[in-house]
Amino acid sequence: MNAALTLRERSEAEASRLPPLLARAEHLAGTVLLGDHGRRRSGLGDDFWQYRPAQIGDSRRMIDHRRSARGDQQFVREREWQIAQSVMLWVDQGASMRFASNKNLPTKGDRARLLGLAISILLVRGGERVGLTGTTLPPRRGNAQIIRLAQAWSGDVQDDYASPEHRAMIPRARAVFISDFLGPMSEVELALTKAADRGVRGVLMHVLDPSEESFPYHGRTVFESVGRTLRHETLKAGALRGRYLERLAERKEALQQLCRATNWQYGLHHTEDSAQAALLWLYRALDGSLR
Amino acid sequence: MTAFLSVISFTSPWVLLSLLALPILWLILRAVPPAPIRRLFPAVTLLLGQKDKESVSDRTPWWLLLLRMLAVAAIIIGLAGPVLNPSRIQAGSGPLLLVLDASWAGATGWPATLEQIDAQLVEAGRAGRPVSILRLTEPETPVFQAAEAWRGRLPGMVPVPWQPSETQITQAIDVLDQIEEDFDTFWFSDKLAYPNSARILDTLQSRGDVTVYQPAAPVLAMVPAVYQDGVIQLTARRSEPGPATAVTLVAQGRDPAGVMRILHSADAVFEENETTAQVELALPSELRGRITRFEIQGQRSAGAVTLTDDSLRRREVALIAGTLNREGLELLSPLHYLTQVLSPTADFVDGGLLEVLPANPDAIVLADVAKLSPGEQTALVEWVEQGGLLLRFAGPRMAASDLGRDSEDVLLPVRLRSGGRSVGGAMSWGEAKGLAPFPENSPFYGLQVPGDVTVTTQVMAQPDPNLADRVIASLSDGTPLVTRKALGLGQVVLFHVTADAEWSSLPLSGLFVEMLDRLAVASAAKSRQDSQLRGTTWEPLQVMDGFGALSDAGNLAGVDGVKLISGTTGPDLQPGLYESGKQKLALNVLSEEAVISPAIWPSDVPIKGQEVNSETPVGGILLSLALLLLTIDVIASLALSGRLGLAKAAAVALGAMLLVPEAQAQTPEDTEFALNATHELVLAHVLTGNAQVDDVAGAGLRGLSQTLFYRTSVEPAEPFGVDLERDELAFFPLLYWPITPDQPQPSAEAYVKLNAYLRSGGMILFDTRDANIARFGASSPNGRKLQQLAAPLNIPALEPVPGDHVLTRAFYLLQDFPGRYAGTEIWVEAAPVDAEQIEGMPFRNLNDNVTPVVIGGNDWAGAWAIDRNGQALLPVGRGYAGERQRELANRFGVNLVMHVLTGNYKSDQVHVPALLDRLGQ
Repeated sequence: MNAALTLRERSEAEASRLPPLLARAEHLAGTVLLGDHGRRRSGLGDDFWQYRPAQIGDSRRMIDHRRSARGDQQFVREREWQIAQSVMLWVDQGASMRFASNKNLPTKGDRARLLGLAISILLVRGGERVGLTGTTLPPRRGNAQIIRLAQAWSGDVQDDYASPEHRAMIPRARAVFISDFLGPMSEVELALTKAADRGVRGVLMHVLDPSEESFPYHGRTVFESVGRTLRHETLKAGALRGRYLERLAERKEALQQLCRATNWQYGLHHTEDSAQAALLWLYRALDGSLR
Repeated sequence: MTAFLSVISFTSPWVLLSLLALPILWLILRAVPPAPIRRLFPAVTLLLGQKDKESVSDRTPWWLLLLRMLAVAAIIIGLAGPVLNPSRIQAGSGPLLLVLDASWAGATGWPATLEQIDAQLVEAGRAGRPVSILRLTEPETPVFQAAEAWRGRLPGMVPVPWQPSETQITQAIDVLDQIEEDFDTFWFSDKLAYPNSARILDTLQSRGDVTVYQPAAPVLAMVPAVYQDGVIQLTARRSEPGPATAVTLVAQGRDPAGVMRILHSADAVFEENETTAQVELALPSELRGRITRFEIQGQRSAGAVTLTDDSLRRREVALIAGTLNREGLELLSPLHYLTQVLSPTADFVDGGLLEVLPANPDAIVLADVAKLSPGEQTALVEWVEQGGLLLRFAGPRMAASDLGRDSEDVLLPVRLRSGGRSVGGAMSWGEAKGLAPFPENSPFYGLQVPGDVTVTTQVMAQPDPNLADRVIASLSDGTPLVTRKALGLGQVVLFHVTADAEWSSLPLSGLFVEMLDRLAVASAAKSRQDSQLRGTTWEPLQVMDGFGALSDAGNLAGVDGVKLISGTTGPDLQPGLYESGKQKLALNVLSEEAVISPAIWPSDVPIKGQEVNSETPVGGILLSLALLLLTIDVIASLALSGRLGLAKAAAVALGAMLLVPEAQAQTPEDTEFALNATHELVLAHVLTGNAQVDDVAGAGLRGLSQTLFYRTSVEPAEPFGVDLERDELAFFPLLYWPITPDQPQPSAEAYVKLNAYLRSGGMILFDTRDANIARFGASSPNGRKLQQLAAPLNIPALEPVPGDHVLTRAFYLLQDFPGRYAGTEIWVEAAPVDAEQIEGMPFRNLNDNVTPVVIGGNDWAGAWAIDRNGQALLPVGRGYAGERQRELANRFGVNLVMHVLTGNYKSDQVHVPALLDRLGQ
């Protein structure tokens, strides 16, 4: 009884965290008008495509009586062919994402989840199936899936740098990876090559904090990772900037290289920029890849 | 450099050695890098493996190092205990005697003297010399003790309000002779000469070295104020001539509220090389009578204070004669001699007896008044019992009347025999009688009886048992001349002769003046003669201490009158206020002729000033400086390491704290009231001060607000009670003003507000709550009050609500406007005279303002009132009809608020058909 009560309480508390994210994601998604997404050919779908004369082989049930009653000929109402794609998302939940250099900025993780959920909402509205990479939440459609996604992203991972989940990828599906990609490159490489092997194409969304881009530090400093597992002490932080920026550029270049090799798309987003622009880019990138 | 070193010394100079460690500290501080900042940084993976190119971190900048060095140096020097102006060691050794004048002359500089003595005691303590202190004004056998023991007793030493007298000096020499060993002497002089000081100096010099300490400033003193020719003459003296200076003399006394305050002040100027400064004060007698003391401002000594007594006070005397109709015969007036005697020293209160009593004169003289009306008698007795002095003179009328014949009259000291007697006249045997010497218990005791005073006629006292006690002066044959009895706090005195020279020659003699003086009818203290004071005993009332402060005399012994004015002050004749009977006499430190002169010392006596270069430990300042430097260091370090955000926030917070009070120029209550009154529509009622009426008005408006809420789109918030004096009215569209007969009239400012409110479109609903029984006449209390309240208001011409007034159709169609009372008319602003009904229109063309006032007496609030549960608070009528009436009252309220809020919108709708017509074409 008591355990049930506390569970209920905890789940309520958890659930109360969802609506703001959901609402923000819905709000963000609402700013993007859905483009036409049909297949431009008749097939299974909801939208009207054309009337065509009934042919032999059409079942009686398919005859559109409203149209047919206008004349002697019998018509069949054809719908536009719509096919649902599976889109798998991986949003970095690692501790490194829980970082914002300024309290006026959202953390990288927050922005990543927002983008992930917003693109999910858009995709679900477009009739696609959305899920997580891995086995925890296979792609499904419907609004309930959005809530499940939000739930799945409401937790945090203790690891400093999470590696992309690349198991159980559905062949020829689409994938979205959102992360700061500051962890080991080998994992990313592994995930992307594995995905490419299975014909999965997708988008890498590189989310960075502005301070990671500019390195505005001076003096004697001990840099620590968010999970406090890694540390680096320097006597003159200012002298490190040039080499740091060099390495960051290398990392970006490596990611782009990887994307080119696997036919993925690479996008860079800074948390100080508007989420809407990132979402638009993400949607267009996915749309293009979906085409 | 040596001069500087002589100014500063260290209590623990060895600590200064640690200053040598400063260079080492410099090197260490330079070598140790500043503490690292810990930063979260996810991209640390990109930094791993990056080596610093230089092994040395950012150096601490030189100025920060210097700052820290300075701080450390300040701490070290501060801890070494630097002392500014260290006292020099006393020369000499052996016992030390400190001789103090301790008279009033040193009272002003007493704290400085004590400080100097203390410094000497400290030095003597360091040198281990035994010390004793001898006060010349209170000589006691000196006991040589450790200096520390004397230091504890120093605060208890106070100056006394006299100078060392001859006896005291003899006493001092005696006790000095008892000391066996030789001693050095520090003499703390008050800088004032007094006789025989040379004797004591000789004694002291014979025992050891004498050093004199005396203050630099001259002694200032004041001699008693003199009242002469209508002005008060104040004289200040100084001990030695010098440059021209001015002193401020202040007169202190009780104001009418009984609080001591400075009643007057004047500047007296010592001309160059003069030792006397005079100023004259011309003050009204009322003010003069209040003055209790004069003093020199800024001086805190008994010599700079003179107390005042009766001599400054002019007594107020009312003279009332039995016959006042003898015009032109001034010399024959029974009051003539009294007027002559009293006019130099007393003010007269003119008028009839009942008129002068409220002025509360000091004395009332009734000259040959036999008959008093019962009312006068009662008032006079009451006045005497509260301390008045009633002085009666006999005369033909009194002798002829039955006054005090059978029983003792309350306003006569004795019973009188009828007729009186005449002696020494042409028709009588015997000769005129002289006066007997005054008995010892008489207030006149000590006055010389001149031989030429004779009495020819007198009224006779009945020989009653208490007669002997009441006689204070008698004739040579033992018959009473003056009798007196106490009555309550006051007394009644009867002269058995007339106040003029008809019955006796007493009024012509100087004795008469002195007698009146003794009776305190006249006050002649300006020239106190021995003769006047002989035989009197004065008891001390308040005595002065050396600082000039008065304290209760306690049970000090009384002083003989002659000694009082002749004696010099001392322990047995302390300056202060003395009292005898009703007379008061002030004994001041200085007499009128007293001159003060500076003490003159032989050339072989070293004289030192009073300046004490007090030791000032400066260690605390240096340590504070170190703290300050370290604080700056903290901020600078934070700034250097990029962590100044915290400091900035603190600075901003500090700035905000400094700025906030200015930002809140408008009082928060006002703002809150305005916000509450304006965030929603609010109805308001005027607070009348009658709690019940106010509650009903509030409940009524709440009910009306609810009704409006339910029925219309007007959704008012909780109503307000408005204090006309305090609250802003502009926020309220409608003021409900219930009239109570006892509500206070608003102030002029409140009316200004109300008129502005009416002008700017507000509406006041006056409700007399009395069913308008008076039809707004003055015949009901509420009606009268309404007239008073509304008189200063700017109210236009009124008329009873016409049938086509917009109030009848602003929301509901109404014919009458009942509240708890029904059927009486209500008044609104009159329609313009040229308003006329257009053919075919149901209403007149009346599109103009909202009426500023609605006046009625139907107690609408009572009908609207609901309690918190929404139930009607007060009954209206009976049964269903009553509820109907309540409903109509509510409808009236709705119409009223609609009228206020929409103006004559409904009236304008009259034109709608015409407008539609025109549009159709």
